[in-house]
Amino acid sequence: MNIGTRKLLDRSFTAVGFTSIMLMALALLAVLVPIITGGIKALYFQGTVEHRTLLFNEFQRGDEAKLAVDAERSEAARKPVYEYLAAFDTELESLPFERKRALESEYHHVRDTLHELLGPLPGDTPPLLLRFQYGVTRWEKAEEELHNLLYMTKWDYSDPTKMATQYFAPRVDEFTGTSLEGLFGYVEEHLEEMLLPQPEFYWGFITDRSLDAHIFGGVWAEIQGTFYLAIGAMLFAFPLGVIAAIYFTEYAKDNYLTSMLRSANSTLAGVPSIVFGLFGLAFFINTMKVSESKSVLAGSLTLAIMILPTIIRAAEEAILSVPKTYREASLGLGATKWRTIMTVILPAALPGIITGGIISLGRAAGETAPIIFTAAVSVGATIGIADVFTEPTPALSWNIYNLASEHEAANEIRHVQYGMVMALISIVLLLNISAILLRARISQKLKG
Amino acid sequence: MPDTSSGTMGGSSAFVVSAKKRRMQQIMKMTGESLLFLVASFVAVVVLFIFYFVARDAIPFFQLRGFAEFFTSTNWYPADEPGEFGALAIIYGSGMVTLGSALIAVPLGIAAAICLSDVLPFNIRQYAKPVIEMLAAIPSVAYGFFALVIFAPLLQNFGGTILMWTWWVIAGPFLVLAVVVLGDMVTAGEPDEAKRDRKRLLMNGFFSVLALGLLYWVGNTLNAIQIMSGTNALNVSIILSFMALPTIVSVSEDALQAVGRELREGSYALGATRAETLVQTVLPAASSGILAAVILGIMRALGETMVVWMASGNSSQIPDPWFNYLDSIRTLTAATIAGDMGEADQVTGSARYHVLFAMGLLLLIFSFVSNFISERVVVRQRKILSGQ
Repeated sequence: MNIGTRKLLDRSFTAVGFTSIMLMALALLAVLVPIITGGIKALYFQGTVEHRTLLFNEFQRGDEAKLAVDAERSEAARKPVYEYLAAFDTELESLPFERKRALESEYHHVRDTLHELLGPLPGDTPPLLLRFQYGVTRWEKAEEELHNLLYMTKWDYSDPTKMATQYFAPRVDEFTGTSLEGLFGYVEEHLEEMLLPQPEFYWGFITDRSLDAHIFGGVWAEIQGTFYLAIGAMLFAFPLGVIAAIYFTEYAKDNYLTSMLRSANSTLAGVPSIVFGLFGLAFFINTMKVSESKSVLAGSLTLAIMILPTIIRAAEEAILSVPKTYREASLGLGATKWRTIMTVILPAALPGIITGGIISLGRAAGETAPIIFTAAVSVGATIGIADVFTEPTPALSWNIYNLASEHEAANEIRHVQYGMVMALISIVLLLNISAILLRARISQKLKG
Repeated sequence: MPDTSSGTMGGSSAFVVSAKKRRMQQIMKMTGESLLFLVASFVAVVVLFIFYFVARDAIPFFQLRGFAEFFTSTNWYPADEPGEFGALAIIYGSGMVTLGSALIAVPLGIAAAICLSDVLPFNIRQYAKPVIEMLAAIPSVAYGFFALVIFAPLLQNFGGTILMWTWWVIAGPFLVLAVVVLGDMVTAGEPDEAKRDRKRLLMNGFFSVLALGLLYWVGNTLNAIQIMSGTNALNVSIILSFMALPTIVSVSEDALQAVGRELREGSYALGATRAETLVQTVLPAASSGILAAVILGIMRALGETMVVWMASGNSSQIPDPWFNYLDSIRTLTAATIAGDMGEADQVTGSARYHVLFAMGLLLLIFSFVSNFISERVVVRQRKILSGQ
């Protein structure tokens, strides 16, 4: 082949390699950036006066005097809206039947949207569910609702050869000539005064309980559940894993039994996570009866089994990387083998072992499939430390799934979902980054 | 192996230990060691238990319904009375996304592994490794959320355009390369240099026209595609390939590093370029290790639950036509085990409950076999390389 072509092939080979690594970095960014930007919106957003009222009523947080002033101001701005509605209510009764029927359903839509925007209207029966007791709490939602109020979504079927196209028609046209006509213009102009948005840093998203199935409030129950499960799993798996690693590196003879144990370890590492869930259900709950039904304990045990192989491998590697001279010096001073392991090898290997432990902790925190059948519930309050043996818990990983695909208002609470994903990813990545830094320090130390 | 009896008793007269005390020490050591052994064998016990308990709940299903329906029928109506339990479409769906993710992740992963082990200088490699580790660390449910909430709408709204640009970006450079190489190969037989250059130019022009036509035609066809639902096999395959990549990269990098300097240096000494060395010498030597990496990566994709559950569309059907990646599918792990258990939970003992364990058993056997193969393969590579 031509030397020029060979050079070109060589270069492009290198380029393919670079590109694939760049692609992986890009994939990482493509996943992380939207999740983080979306997640920040759960914490920092334009909150309306409704949000401040909610926080005050439910958590007794906020400045009461300032809130009263705000409430008064927004009430004053809302008064004309209520007057329009009242006037139209009486007008509707006097209209001829045909006209009344034509307007009634549109009017219902207007009332519903206004309810969403401003909370219960005068004359409504007080709603039972918390989600209907308040108006919009976030300004960007208010803008969406305003659009719903002002425009009707219609479909254009004029061209039969194409798919129908969507367009918006002003709703005010339906009400021309009635007393409601002025309402639309008024709401459009005075929405800000009615809701008084201001930038808010809602740190309570992390520390508050959830209100009305995550429509309002925070995700503390999930964060706490995740910690219980992950730490519980570590409590079981870490000591077992380290002891097994000591056996494998220091005591195991090079025979058939050992190689069988090792391949059992790698088999366990390869078992699909959902199968751990099945096993946890069949063994810990149905057979061992560690708890009546799902519980944190059963979930932790299942997760512990899942992370055990990782811990064993990391600990083994850490122990093997301790320089041989350490061991020889200790043995040469007359220490027993056990004493050498406990006082020389383990302390030297400890940072490496802990690195493996931290990574496994992150894995246990993020895994969903094993806890579906053993520990997770979609709605639940925070549980005390004493309840972990009997009670199931909400957990970040499971609730992300649940809110994103099974929640009745999944589209309305995207910000909560983003916030949860960000919380989970932050926990996991912080653990991993600290492990990476720790490892860099160890390798520096070993270099001397 | 360190000798276990070394330690306190050197056997010299300076350390005279009474026979009784010595026996005590011996017994202590024995019990200590056997305790350690017990803990270490815990893992094996767990593996046995997993097999036993999953099989115990799976076997009643096969006793009740036999094997034929499960593996050959595509009618999956577990909630009916009597239910139908044909899992063929579900098994097919699992295979389909696994294959799709492998098609993306294997070439990318091997290229990245080669780059990491042989091309990148050490200081850049230090930054590339954490990227891979973070890609591996992101929880599967976060990937699932990304697939469902961010990627699926994109795919649904701009699917054709995305496919077209992906084709252009990937195929463009490769076609340029193919044009040059083909021109070179066709004209290689020509002895006269001036004539050869002229001929090559002509051939390059000819192939360029072909390549441009291909680029344009395929791009146009892809652009015309309307994706009905963003939650489909393509979406899942792409996201699963992100998840399989770290495994493939790190395991094949280990395999490439294990090949050692001598082979590489020998190849360079014979005048090969770096690409030629890697493709013709290093990759064949590391091939079994890379095979193991591929198997492990595929297992990661096959066993994954959350992404598939959230983004596959969960419809139990074989796509029409059978290779249509833009259709919704359903897989063993997700929709079926995870999704049905909630309802089946109540009626422990029914075929509906046991069929989920049958699927679990199928996955378990699959992972066991592939794990076994990959382990054998790695052992073999080590033997071959150390034999040299």
